[in-house]
Amino acid sequence: MHGHVDHATFLQQISSFLGFYYIALAAMNGIAALAIWRGGRSKTLFRVGPLTFTNALLWTVVAFFFLLMAPLAMSGSEPLMRWVSMPDAFKHAADAVMGPVAYSLGSFLILAVLFSFRKFFVKTWVAWLGLNLSFLFMGLSITDPDFAAIVTKPDNVPIVGLIFLLGFFTWLATAKAVKNDERIARGEKPLEAVDNEKILVWPDLVYTELICMVALTALLLLWGIALQAPLEEPASSVKTPNPSKAPWYFLGLQEMLVYYDPWMAGVVLPSVVIVGLMAIPYIDFNRRGNGYYTINERKFAYVIFQFGFLVLWVTLIVMGTFLRGPNWNFFGFYETWDVHKVVPMNNVDLSEYFWIRGLGREMPRAPEGSGAGLELLYILWREAPGIILLIGYFTVIPPAMVVYSKFFRNMYLKMGLIRFMVMSHLLLLMGLLPIKMVCRWSFDLKYFIAIKEYFLNF
Amino acid sequence: MPDKDKMSVEEILAACRKLDGGGDTSASQPSAAEEPPAPAATPAAEPPSGKKPSEMSVEEILAAARAEKAGRGEASSSEASAPTSAAAPVAPKKKPSEMSVEEILAAARAEKSRPATPAKPAAKPKPAASAKPAAKSSPKPAAGGKKPSGPLDTASILAAARKGSKRGPVSKEEAARTAAPAAAKAGSRVPPMPSKPDFLRPAAKSKPAESRRGFFGSLIGIVFGSAMAVGFVSLAVTQLLWLLGFARFMFPNILIEPPSKFKVGFPDVIGPGQVVTKFKAQFGVWIVRNEYEGVDQIYALRSVCTHLGCTPNWLEAEQKFKCPCHGSGFYKNGINFEGPAPRPLERYAITIADDGQLEVDKSRKFQQELGQWNDPQSFVPV
Repeated sequence: MHGHVDHATFLQQISSFLGFYYIALAAMNGIAALAIWRGGRSKTLFRVGPLTFTNALLWTVVAFFFLLMAPLAMSGSEPLMRWVSMPDAFKHAADAVMGPVAYSLGSFLILAVLFSFRKFFVKTWVAWLGLNLSFLFMGLSITDPDFAAIVTKPDNVPIVGLIFLLGFFTWLATAKAVKNDERIARGEKPLEAVDNEKILVWPDLVYTELICMVALTALLLLWGIALQAPLEEPASSVKTPNPSKAPWYFLGLQEMLVYYDPWMAGVVLPSVVIVGLMAIPYIDFNRRGNGYYTINERKFAYVIFQFGFLVLWVTLIVMGTFLRGPNWNFFGFYETWDVHKVVPMNNVDLSEYFWIRGLGREMPRAPEGSGAGLELLYILWREAPGIILLIGYFTVIPPAMVVYSKFFRNMYLKMGLIRFMVMSHLLLLMGLLPIKMVCRWSFDLKYFIAIKEYFLNF
Repeated sequence: MPDKDKMSVEEILAACRKLDGGGDTSASQPSAAEEPPAPAATPAAEPPSGKKPSEMSVEEILAAARAEKAGRGEASSSEASAPTSAAAPVAPKKKPSEMSVEEILAAARAEKSRPATPAKPAAKPKPAASAKPAAKSSPKPAAGGKKPSGPLDTASILAAARKGSKRGPVSKEEAARTAAPAAAKAGSRVPPMPSKPDFLRPAAKSKPAESRRGFFGSLIGIVFGSAMAVGFVSLAVTQLLWLLGFARFMFPNILIEPPSKFKVGFPDVIGPGQVVTKFKAQFGVWIVRNEYEGVDQIYALRSVCTHLGCTPNWLEAEQKFKCPCHGSGFYKNGINFEGPAPRPLERYAITIADDGQLEVDKSRKFQQELGQWNDPQSFVPV
C-alpha cells in the first residue's frame, strides 16, 4: 500500500472520507448538546459578564469547530489540509520516542493512571472529552499516508472499532463500579441490589435479541459491501508474507512468541492462561461483588484481571496489529514500513552471560565421544544459572510473599496451602511475560534456559 | 313458529329446534340486533315467542338460582360461579317492570361480576326493553346452545333439557352417574368382526417337490429375481465402489516430494560470499559460498526458521537472513544472532556429483549445535 500513490492523489482519496468524518463528529457533538439542553442537564461552567457558558454551549462550540474542519478536510488540496493534519514535528517526535519499550510501558502507565484516578475519568464529560480527543487524533493522523495505511487496511478497520468498543465498555463498567463503591461507602446497597426487578425472557429479552440480530446483520451486509475481503496471494510453503501476521485475536500470542520459544509461548503459556481462568472460581474466596459492579470490594481480583487482559492481551494485540511491520520490526504510527529497517537485536542467552561474559570461561561442554547421559549432565551444568534462577523464582517467592506481605499472609490463612500455591504460581507464570520482555529490552536476554539440543528453551 | 299467544313447552322446543337448525339465521342475528329496521320479519315474529318463554320461566330460573346459592357448598367453585352469573342476567331480559327491585339489583350485580365477553347482551336490554327483547332472544339459542358457560336463556335451558342433562351445576355424583352408563354403552357397542370371505382366505400351499433344481432355481430367483434383491445388490455394489474410490482418493497419484537429490550447477559459478536464492522457491534451500571457521566452502542452508518454521528472506543489503514472522535473524553462515530463534539454520548434505555439478541431498541434515557442521558431507570446500 505504501508508495503506490503520490501524496496529492492520496489526499484526494482520503479527503472525501475525512470531510464526512468531521461532519459526523459535529453532528455527534451537536446531538449531545441538544440532549443536554433539552434534558435540562445543562450546568453553568463559568460566567463572563452577562454571558453564561453552559456545558451544552461548550459541546455546541466543539460541534462548530468540527464543522469548520469539515470543508478544510474535504478540499483535498495540500495547503488547506495541512490545517487538519498532525504537525510534522509531532509526528517525528512520536516516531522517535515510540518503540516496544515506550509503547508497552506507556500503555501500562496510562492504564494505571486511568485506574488510579477513575473517580475523575468516569465522569461523563471527561469521557466525552476523551472520546472527542481520540476521534480528533484519528482524524488529524489519517492524513499521514503511513498512518492511513495501517488504519484503513481492511484487516485492521474492525480492530480500530474494537478499540473504541472496548474503551466504552471498560468505561461503562468502571463508572458503574465507582457509583456502587460510593454507595457502599455511604452504607447503601449497590444499585443492582436496589433495582432488582426481574423482567421476562419473552418478550423483553427475545425482542432485544431480535433487534440486535437484525441490526448486526445489516451492519455485516454494509461492511461486506463497503470493505473488500483482505485476500492475499496464493499460499506457498516457501514464501512467507512479510510481515506475516496471525489473526488479530492471536496477535498477543504472536507478540509473546517474540520473547519465548514456540513450545512455551505457543503451547504451555496459552494452556496456563486457559487453566488459570478456569481455576479462578476455585481460588477466589471473596464472596462480595456477586451480581453487581464493584472495584473496591475486590480490588486484587480486579487489578490482576485487568492487568492480564488490558495490559498483557489487548495492548499486545494493538501493538501486533498496528505497530509491527516487515520482519516483525517495530514501526511508529507515522513511520513508513521499510523492509530494510535495521534494528539491532543481538540476543544472548543467560548461560553465555554467565560463563563467557561473567566468568570469562568457555561454556562447559562434554568431552568428545562421551555418551548421551554425560552430555545431558554437561548441558544441565551449562544451563545451571537459568535453572537455579527459575526454580528459585517459583519456590522462594511464594513463601516470601507470605512472610513479608501482610496482604498475602491474610490470603494464605484464608486459602490454605494448596490454593495459595496454585494462585501464587499462576500469578508468577503471568509475571514471567513482562519480566522476560523487560529483560529482553534491557539486557538483550534471549533465553533463561537454552537447551537447544533438546528443543527446550525458556 | 309465530304464535302470539302463550306457547306450550313443545312449541317452544319446536321453535328452538328451528332456530338451531337454521345456522344462517343464527349467524345473521347479531347484525340484525344492531340495526332493528333491517330484518322486518324476524323482529315482528320474534317478540312474542322470545318474551313468552322467558316470562314463563322467570320464577323457575330465580328459584333455581336461589337453590343454587343455598347448595353452593356441594358444587365446585367454577361450576357454581357460572350458573349464578348465567341465571341472573336472564331476568332483565324479561320485562323489567315485572321484576322486583331486589331481582333487578341481583341481576345488575351478576352482570357486573360477569366477564367481559357477555357485555354485549348486557348493554342491549337498556336501550329498548320493550321492543328489543325479540332481537336479543334470537341470538341466544346459537350462543346458549354451544356454550353452557354463558348466560343461560330459555332456549339454551331447553336445549340442555333436550339433551337430557341436568341444567345448572352438576355435582360429582351426578357426573359419575351420567358418565357411567355412557361408558357401559360404549363398551357393549363393539361391532362384531365380519367373517372373512372365502376369496380372501389364502389358498392352501401346494407343497413343491423337493428337488435340487428347484432349490437352485429358488436361490437364483431370490438373488436375482426379486426386485428387492436387485435393489440391495446394486446398492452394495455401489457402496463398495465408493469405498474403493475413497481409498484410492487417500493415495493420490502424485510425487509427494521433489526428488531429495538435485543438482544446483557448477561450483565455480558461485562467487565468494554469494548467496544463491533461486532454489528457495522449488527446493527450500539457499546455496551459500562463505568462509566458515577459516575454510572457504559452499554449503546448502535449509530455508526454514528454527523458531517456528516460517521461511526467512535473504536481505542482501544487511547480509542476513530475516524471518518475517517473529523477527529472527541469521548471519550468512546460518548462525542465529537476533530474535527468538534458538539455534542456527540447518544444513543439507552437499557433494560434487560425477559430472562436476553440486548435488544437494535433502534427506540428510546437519545441525551446528550438535557439532555436525564439521562433517565433510555438510559442505564442499572451494
